[in-house]
Amino acid sequence: MHFYLTLNQDDRVGFSPFKERDKASRVISTLCLPLSYATIQAVQKKLQRSTPFHFWHKEPISKDTKLEINKIIRGFGWKASDLTWQEHAPALELDQRAVKVEDNIAEEAFNRLTLGRQLSTGDLRGLARELKMKEDDIKEIAHFNVEQGRAKWVPAVRPTGKGWQCQRCGEKDVEEWPGQYEMAATCRSCESIGSSTSLEVLYRDERSLMGAASEVIFQPHWVLTKAQRLASEQVLEFIKDPCDHAALLWAACGAGKTEVCFPAAAWALKQGKSVLFAAPRQDVIHDVAPRLQRDFPDYQFQVLTGISPIKFQSGGMVLATTHQVLRFWRAFDVIFLDEMDAFPYKGSRALEWGLSHALRPGGKILYLTATPSSEALKAVRQGKMQLIRLPARHHRTSLPVPIWERSRHAIEPNGFTGVWVSQIKSLRLLGPVLVFVPKISWINAWIKCFRQYFPSWQVDGSYSADPGRSSKIKQLRQGEFDLFVSTTILERGITLPGIQVVVLGADHPVFDERALVQMAGRVGRTKESPEGSVVFISRQRTTAMKTAILWIEDQNKRALELGLIDS
Amino acid sequence: MNEFWKGAVNIARALWYEEARACVLCGGVGGVVCPTCTTDYLHPELGRCSGCGKLIAKEKTVCLDCDAGMGPTQLDQVTAWGHYSGGLREFIQNVKFEARPRRLMEIAQPFASWAMTQLPAVDGVLAVPMHASHLAERGFNQAEVLASAIHWELGLPIVEGVERFEATPSQMSLSRHDRLKNLKGAFVVREPKQIKGRSLWIVDDVTTTGATLEAVAEVLRGSGVQAIYGLCLAAGLEKRLVP
Repeated sequence: MHFYLTLNQDDRVGFSPFKERDKASRVISTLCLPLSYATIQAVQKKLQRSTPFHFWHKEPISKDTKLEINKIIRGFGWKASDLTWQEHAPALELDQRAVKVEDNIAEEAFNRLTLGRQLSTGDLRGLARELKMKEDDIKEIAHFNVEQGRAKWVPAVRPTGKGWQCQRCGEKDVEEWPGQYEMAATCRSCESIGSSTSLEVLYRDERSLMGAASEVIFQPHWVLTKAQRLASEQVLEFIKDPCDHAALLWAACGAGKTEVCFPAAAWALKQGKSVLFAAPRQDVIHDVAPRLQRDFPDYQFQVLTGISPIKFQSGGMVLATTHQVLRFWRAFDVIFLDEMDAFPYKGSRALEWGLSHALRPGGKILYLTATPSSEALKAVRQGKMQLIRLPARHHRTSLPVPIWERSRHAIEPNGFTGVWVSQIKSLRLLGPVLVFVPKISWINAWIKCFRQYFPSWQVDGSYSADPGRSSKIKQLRQGEFDLFVSTTILERGITLPGIQVVVLGADHPVFDERALVQMAGRVGRTKESPEGSVVFISRQRTTAMKTAILWIEDQNKRALELGLIDS
Repeated sequence: MNEFWKGAVNIARALWYEEARACVLCGGVGGVVCPTCTTDYLHPELGRCSGCGKLIAKEKTVCLDCDAGMGPTQLDQVTAWGHYSGGLREFIQNVKFEARPRRLMEIAQPFASWAMTQLPAVDGVLAVPMHASHLAERGFNQAEVLASAIHWELGLPIVEGVERFEATPSQMSLSRHDRLKNLKGAFVVREPKQIKGRSLWIVDDVTTTGATLEAVAEVLRGSGVQAIYGLCLAAGLEKRLVP
């Protein structure tokens, strides 16, 4: 999106997205050259520097200002022939914009849907399509908001001393290219949600999502267990406490950590605080949305993922993937981030930057996880982050502690001698067996091998790029397999009643303590089958395996001390 | 120090292994343009309409439109690298609308070598100019980047001197008839002396009816250019060929 420099009757230099001036404006001339917002800012800066006593001139000096602007722009590489000014007749004495009723409705809709948003030109175009408005009308409303101080234009990628920084995701790793008049840069890290370049702008609405305290009906359809209630109280305290800004909710796998946050979310919404529930993966959002909708009847939510058909929604509570959060700017008073250690959020500087910039100054962020990252644990140790524990599952049974089965030989499907066949058979008596392997190349080989040893069993497997993945997982959920071989794709986010877990090659470097805890956490999640077995099979016992077992034992010990489990 | 080691490791790796290049159009393995994409989008088995560059059956020389006299008349030959669809269309759109002009350098080598086998040698390459206001918006003219890639690969001089006088609406939204009308008087030759008697390739990203190339060729002819050939990244496919 581009802008035109304008001169007002009082010689003030302004800018507008349109060459044509609207009737009521005080603009008397417009430079007929579309400029990037970064260039507009550079011109304004140079003008301020060159005319420090500008405000004391009483005489009209518009001619000089024009010459000054022309000079500056020529300095940027434009030809003198490009610099033509369009003069406008003096404006009618109308202070207000001549607005029609339908304009008012459109403006109201625009303002409702863009609160707290950070939108690229592409996003604004999308909004125009959703509202069935003309792109220029959207631009006009947006620019009017900027003029009124409710929003800001920002260059989407801004030069910073030596390099560039994307203003949407904070990344500095950009693709630089020689533009016609200036060096330009395109951000590579957030291109999946539309391009961001130094020639483009972002529209940042600076208003909060929530106007004031509001009526919120919170009707939970569940009763918190004692463990959940204790954690829930601590979460609420943290949200109310004006001092702390970040906390970590470290829960046992399958302990029901999401519901623990609902009472705090209800309190925040009643206080007029906006709430974001974010997660790195779409399926988590689509899993939580109906649960929230059931407990907050009549409350309007925004549910935003890459596959949401409607990209612009309104409501003080937002459920979004961490990618969609990049479209918000200082919008939320409270953020709950689920699965902080999951891909793609884990290790993505851009998503982390986006999340921290979606928080309003003084806002609160609660990280929810069963397997906290070492950085989060370090922050807790340093006292920068409060720690809240949720060590027990709702059925008051301890977490199954993995058993290490030492293998004398290297674990290879081809050289399998059938040593643990009887063990897998006994696991099958308890329930279907889920076998995790560290590499895709093992999947088919092990399927073949297990089919040979258990000819009467239904055996299959899957991995990330498997075209039949979703149908196989559906079958797995329906309990159609006796044994299923999988990579880490099934390590989290799935509940399979009665499942037993075997990790083959648990000493492989791809399995860190987090992956091992998550895989072990698939067992005993339901009330009907709260117990089960987890077997790690490997030649060596790695630090990750020891840590994983230690974490699980520590949760059980804590739960027992607090009287949250029965055994 | 850590950065230093990372750099050192990368250099060592580059020395030992030749990095496998991913396909520009689909990201798969098998060269700059993998065999699958070559078959799907570049269609080496098809001919090109000499009038407008459209992909046609090998045994034909012109498409039905050009045969009926509805195609360009000012150009000696027009050709296009591939069919404007799928991966090739995504690539061109990524370059134009997501501001990734550098990506054109990835295909510079195969595109230029292919062009050399299709068109006669000339004195220079000329990019279809873009109007100043569009140029300011986008920041680059993809046709100019392509021309400079050809200049880089084949050493053909870049010829300038044609300007886009009018900011016409995008050709994309117009009908065949309107496309030709839309461009009337859009181009002007600033320095006819420099190009008189020469032979040129006119380069553009996409051609559909050949109207843009025709409009540029018309003003070039008027300025005494001897031979004019059109060269594009992508063109349409003759309707009869579509199964």
